[in-house]
Amino acid sequence: MNEPLFQIRIASGGRTLVTVDDFAFAHNGITFLFGESGIGKSLISKAVYGLIDPGELSVSVNGRPYHEHLNDPWTRALKLNSFFVFQEPSSHLNPLMTIAAQIREGSLEKCASEQEILKTLWQASGEGAAGRILDIFPKPYRPSGGEKQRVLLAMAFKKIDILLQSPSAGAQTLFVFDEPTGSLDNAYRNLFLKMLLEKYRSRPFTILIITHDYSIISEVYRSHRDLAPRVRFSELSRKGPDGQVTCHAFSPEQYLTWLERARAETRAAGERGAALEFGSQFTVFARPMRLFADAAHMHPADLLIRRGEMAYVKAPSGVGKTTLAKIVMGLVRPERVSMRIEGVELNEKTPLAVWQKHVWGKRAGMVFQHADEALNVQARVREIFRGLPLRNRLGRDGVRANLGLLFDTEITDAFLAKRIGYLSGGQKQRLNLLRTLALDTALLILDEPLNGLDFDTTTRVLDALEKKRRAGSALLMISHNEEIFDALVEQSSVYYLAEQTPKAG
Amino acid sequence: MRAFSFSNRDIRWLAVWLSGLAAVALWDGLFLNRPALALVVEGFLNTVVIALLVLVFTLAYGWATTLCLHFFQTRSRHAPLLIATFILNVIRSIPQVVGVLIGYVLIAQLTGAGALSRNAVVFPLMAAIMSLFIFLEMVDLMRERIAHFRKLDFYSAMLVCGIKESRIVNFDILWKNSRTHILNKLISVFGMAVFLQCSVDFVISVGLSTDVSPVDLPVTLGSLLAKIDSKQDILAIGHALTHPDYVGHLFFTHLQGLTVAFLIVFTLMCMYFISNGFSERHRL
Repeated sequence: MNEPLFQIRIASGGRTLVTVDDFAFAHNGITFLFGESGIGKSLISKAVYGLIDPGELSVSVNGRPYHEHLNDPWTRALKLNSFFVFQEPSSHLNPLMTIAAQIREGSLEKCASEQEILKTLWQASGEGAAGRILDIFPKPYRPSGGEKQRVLLAMAFKKIDILLQSPSAGAQTLFVFDEPTGSLDNAYRNLFLKMLLEKYRSRPFTILIITHDYSIISEVYRSHRDLAPRVRFSELSRKGPDGQVTCHAFSPEQYLTWLERARAETRAAGERGAALEFGSQFTVFARPMRLFADAAHMHPADLLIRRGEMAYVKAPSGVGKTTLAKIVMGLVRPERVSMRIEGVELNEKTPLAVWQKHVWGKRAGMVFQHADEALNVQARVREIFRGLPLRNRLGRDGVRANLGLLFDTEITDAFLAKRIGYLSGGQKQRLNLLRTLALDTALLILDEPLNGLDFDTTTRVLDALEKKRRAGSALLMISHNEEIFDALVEQSSVYYLAEQTPKAG
Repeated sequence: MRAFSFSNRDIRWLAVWLSGLAAVALWDGLFLNRPALALVVEGFLNTVVIALLVLVFTLAYGWATTLCLHFFQTRSRHAPLLIATFILNVIRSIPQVVGVLIGYVLIAQLTGAGALSRNAVVFPLMAAIMSLFIFLEMVDLMRERIAHFRKLDFYSAMLVCGIKESRIVNFDILWKNSRTHILNKLISVFGMAVFLQCSVDFVISVGLSTDVSPVDLPVTLGSLLAKIDSKQDILAIGHALTHPDYVGHLFFTHLQGLTVAFLIVFTLMCMYFISNGFSERHRL
């Protein structure tokens, strides 16, 4: 595969945001680009595509000023037969145009396969046709994140169909999908891949998929093995300070072998006391909810986690996994609930002061889903453990040792003095995890603990969690990384959360 | 050191204010008679010192009240919350000038009766009274900041890690995330304190009550403005408007009143621009 190679430098007000000397993607091939959140995957891809406003950021591509790259015939030709699906679908949609007008805007109007694309994208959801949202404006009607993401994918597929119908073989193409299934579950991810790769099989074009979801590797090897020679997995890694990153090949075997090994390991908890007992039925926001021991929702089960055990709660997006975690921690008050955290009985009438006095930081701790919102971004890195109810106050060396659990680079004084807000998303997520892992509690709840992490850090996080488990903590996992946690958690400790319907109940 | 760059509007206006004061000091040093100069210097310094003390009291009252209200609210102490809110609303309903005026009358009477003799006691008392009618603005700001952060995961995420609520509120929210907002409010409070002080001192000095003797209160820019010499100097400005050839005299023979009026107006104007520039720089 012919690979264009890019040297890119992006700076803002004298501060380098990202520098890469070896960014590449397979021409007329399929490239999956991994890397921790905030490392610069989106920014670099936008720079190559020509989407950065030169007035906002200072960019150079292959040593040339950005305006030269924008006016380069290669870039101009590329934009004619390409599409960029943004990570945050809201930023793509015009609030003053209906969804229908937007998916038919400009060259997209020429596509005859719109109905078929929409039907395929919406059918799997069981929500019926997409027609419901076509005539609405993105604001104030606010389609859901999943709906917006599907609208963007529909636009991209229309553009691909136009390309495939055109006779201009060999045209310069680049279809960038930035976290295309971030708001969708695995079934949708697989459907998206199937649609995309079917089109690719009919005539190759250049695809760049930016993702944190390493389990996509398994799906490629499981369902699209014939395309393996055309697929390239790359990863951006930090090379040095000041945003220096390198783009290197990521070996899919590394992930697949690790996964196999994880599946093979046994994780017996032994006979230890229960850290959490949570009744199978509860009601929150007037919705009766139920926990089941099986995916078919046939066997209701109390959520029981003993010390030294890892449990995993599964449910489609929006059902209420995070709400369940917040109920356990007393942050959401349900109408009806019954639970016990290491012997402390709690229900819907228990005053919050009980959680404050007996649970928070003493018997249970929780990692929140979004590190950006869960951390004080104005604080310094060295302050991350301050205020925690630890047996011994952590000195500078203690802080370094704790950070060393998840940070492989040397913990310099400059790093300790850095404001958390200036760290990358992946670094923030590591701090978010470390703060809770430093606690010595019977129960740890982790809501999407692998969000925004690269593979190395993912394995480090899982190793750290395994150590906590062996040390006797009970871990309750909430994650969309089903493949990983299915491999790590005993089937008997997997729970399925669903809204109680007459059929289910 | 970029924070102190002159490209920042607030720093530029701070420099303008200090330069203006220095220029006035130099001019008055050359052309204003010694007794009048001493009075102006004393009045200006007293005004600034009291305004600075107001900042301290406003911050202390504001912070303490905010914490009380927050803890009454989060611990569902309804009765104390209701009482505290009622008292604060009563204070809020009193116009600032009226409140400060009543407080000053009290101080003047205490001073007249010999209960307060030293400036070291009178100044903090004046500032404490003035702050009583200003600090609610600080309370509103702090409560707004706390309410904003309580809605974010940040607050809950720290709580469930066992971090004490008092630390989250005091350190993480008010200190780490709100100190620029608080500092900006304090800049406005400084301007407000100068304005209130001058207004009230002026009102008292021109004769609010026969029971109150302005002589019992420390000299400030407001009381200086009410002095007969200053009044004549101010009237001279009006005269100069209709007799342009008289303008030159203003800067040599009417300096006391002109200086006092200039210091008040110039300080208030600079504080306004410093506060705006600060908000702009920190995107508040």
